[in-house]
Amino acid sequence: MSLSSGTVGQIPAVAPPRTRRGGTPHGRRESLTGLLFVAPFIVGFIIFSALPMGASLLLSLTDFDPRAPDEIRFIGLANYAEMASDPVLRESLWVTVRFGLIAVPLTLGFALAVAILVNSKLLVGRNVFRTLFYMPIQIPIVASTLVWIGVLHATTGWLNLGLDAVGIDGPNWLQSPTWVGPALALMGLWGIGNMMLIFLAGLQSVPTELYDAAKVDGAGSLASFRHVTLPMISPVLFYNLIIALIGAFQYFTQAYVVSNGRGDPDRATLFFNLHLYREAFGFFNMGYASALAWLLFAIVLGLTIVLFRTAGSWVFSGGER
Amino acid sequence: METPRSVTRRRPVRVPAILAALALAVAACGGGTPATSQTASGTPAASATAAASQGSGEPVEIEWFVGLGTGENEEQIPVEEAVVAAFNESQDGIELILTVVDNTEASDTLATRIAAGDAPDIIGPIGIRGLQSFGDQLLDLSPYIGSVDLSEIDQALIDVYKVDGKQIGIPMAVYPSFFYYNKTLFDEAELAYPPHEVGEQYEGKDWTWDTVRELAKQLTVDGAGNDATSADFNADDIVQYGLDAQFTENDARAWATIFGGSGSAVADDGTTAQWPDNWREGLQYMYDGIWTDQFIPNQTAVQALADGNTFQSGRIAMDVVHQWYTCCVYPGEGEPQVTDWDIAVLPEGPDGKITSKLHADTIGIMDTTENPEQAFEALSFLTRSPELIQIWGAMPAIESQRADFFAGLDDRFAPLEIDWNVSTQMLAYPDNPSHEAFMPNFPEADSANKDLGSKIWTTPDLDLDAEIDAHVELLQGIFDSN
Repeated sequence: MSLSSGTVGQIPAVAPPRTRRGGTPHGRRESLTGLLFVAPFIVGFIIFSALPMGASLLLSLTDFDPRAPDEIRFIGLANYAEMASDPVLRESLWVTVRFGLIAVPLTLGFALAVAILVNSKLLVGRNVFRTLFYMPIQIPIVASTLVWIGVLHATTGWLNLGLDAVGIDGPNWLQSPTWVGPALALMGLWGIGNMMLIFLAGLQSVPTELYDAAKVDGAGSLASFRHVTLPMISPVLFYNLIIALIGAFQYFTQAYVVSNGRGDPDRATLFFNLHLYREAFGFFNMGYASALAWLLFAIVLGLTIVLFRTAGSWVFSGGER
Repeated sequence: METPRSVTRRRPVRVPAILAALALAVAACGGGTPATSQTASGTPAASATAAASQGSGEPVEIEWFVGLGTGENEEQIPVEEAVVAAFNESQDGIELILTVVDNTEASDTLATRIAAGDAPDIIGPIGIRGLQSFGDQLLDLSPYIGSVDLSEIDQALIDVYKVDGKQIGIPMAVYPSFFYYNKTLFDEAELAYPPHEVGEQYEGKDWTWDTVRELAKQLTVDGAGNDATSADFNADDIVQYGLDAQFTENDARAWATIFGGSGSAVADDGTTAQWPDNWREGLQYMYDGIWTDQFIPNQTAVQALADGNTFQSGRIAMDVVHQWYTCCVYPGEGEPQVTDWDIAVLPEGPDGKITSKLHADTIGIMDTTENPEQAFEALSFLTRSPELIQIWGAMPAIESQRADFFAGLDDRFAPLEIDWNVSTQMLAYPDNPSHEAFMPNFPEADSANKDLGSKIWTTPDLDLDAEIDAHVELLQGIFDSN
């Protein structure tokens, strides 16, 4: 019997006093006090999340146009049916998936590499570097995107000027349908601060005894990383993967700024969320946009479930898969 | 075990806890909503003290929403603020509040506010394009303008603002388009200035877009000083362009009209998508100008030139822009790059006609306003304010007011002597139908046209005819889904 199941087995013996306490005046007061303290979140969640979600579900069954709110009509599942014949939706999904395939592994790999770097005892001024790598995330996304637009400009940007200095003809990063996706992924490396911190926490929680044992067994640095570090930080890696995946599907602000909200060039930055935004606030098809929002929810939920299902084969928790 | 005493002792602790929880809840839900009706995305500019209630004796708040047309440039906002302040000082019954929203977000913001029941009272200046989205949300001004003399305004302009039998605006300003040209660059190239009179030739040649092409190539220069007609011209190092048509926002209809003449993406039946032959020629002219002859900057180059305000950069020789561009030839701060400039007439297009793409503006009142009379009073003040007409570069729709308008511009640009007669001449050649005219499912169709414009602006080696064919098919789908 595992330790966890043994603990579960003891619960009935402990449970009665808890039930009895909850029934006392003090228990009720304690519960009430607790509820009051979480009330701001509950109220905020209901008003700003639950109600809008419910409203968007209802709106997705209508032809709501914000310019003429009084003319709203119930149209059943017509908005969902329309998705099947929406070529722009297919394009936007492909743009999003293609971006995710580049950005998610790139961001995870880079954040992990930086975390390893700033965790290294060989690095002088580790705290300074940790701060420096974290700092960019404090800059508002719009501001940093505008800076990056300048950096990635084909003729005047620092990146291409640098490439030009070493004899490489840099691409037209932001105006080329081919390069704008990688450019945005590159831009995303600027904001790895949170992910790096989480990796760093994961790395620091790996018991040093395991490395010592690996060394005794003759493992080198790479083997230690492969057989000790990666398995031990796999829960953190899993968490970051989920967050990055959700982030990729919710990608919006940078694409909006780079393309003036239009998906330029040639719809290469028309991410799913940008398509949704244009339908809602550009074309005023709020009902269809609400349906798109629920499609996005279903896709992200589905992918998350798949990842959780596969997690058992590669995520180690408490020394077990 | 709890005792009655201990419970009693804890009660004082619970009261602050409840208050703290309530305070947090209020803070979480409040969101810092301002007391006035200004939006976060707007620029509250008129008065921070406009929180006066609308009770007896208190002034009625009227909000003026700017951003759907001109009026949101940094050079214009201080003047609008001053006019609002002057109105507020001129009477006690109305508190006019100015909200300026970036043009790219103005439609979204307004639609959202309408849906939220928080629509402003007055909107504008609003152009023909804006009317396609919000025209039916505007108040019929007929009951209020009975005493206004419209006899000096062209009936065609008045009709522009008649929607479903409602007179939703009084024509206030018209903006013909023409060439702004940088005389310094012409002087450097030792080239004659473009014609100022319709029918005038240029160096013995008819003033056509073909002539403009040859001229623009001579005015397109690389870093080594070679122009685009030279065999040594380096297209990768262009420092000066001969021609641009700035601030068209990728709009393929606008570009097709400038270089091809009047046309429509909708056939006479009102439902069939089309792209007329003269528009195909117009777009081909522009496409070749960007990617083959390279005398027109592509999008990348435009971004590098004064962040899109290309003529202001001093590196564009000729630029097709509207009358309103007088607002922005010079930067709001710093030394201007363009010091000697003038305007010239547009050439004959492939359809054998001169076409001056026309913009027209009005200010309207939302039909949701609770105070239509006060809103009309404020609107009347705004439409009579010469400072606004000047800063918007708005040629008055009323003909007798134009002399003062041009005199004001002369004062502003002295010692330069701009030939405003060009502008007056171009007013006789408006695009009809308008390049901003109605299309079924307008916002989506308009966006599709801009997608085509974006492709033209950013993508070399296109088969443009095939692209236009595909575009017409796309437009038809959009029209059909209306």
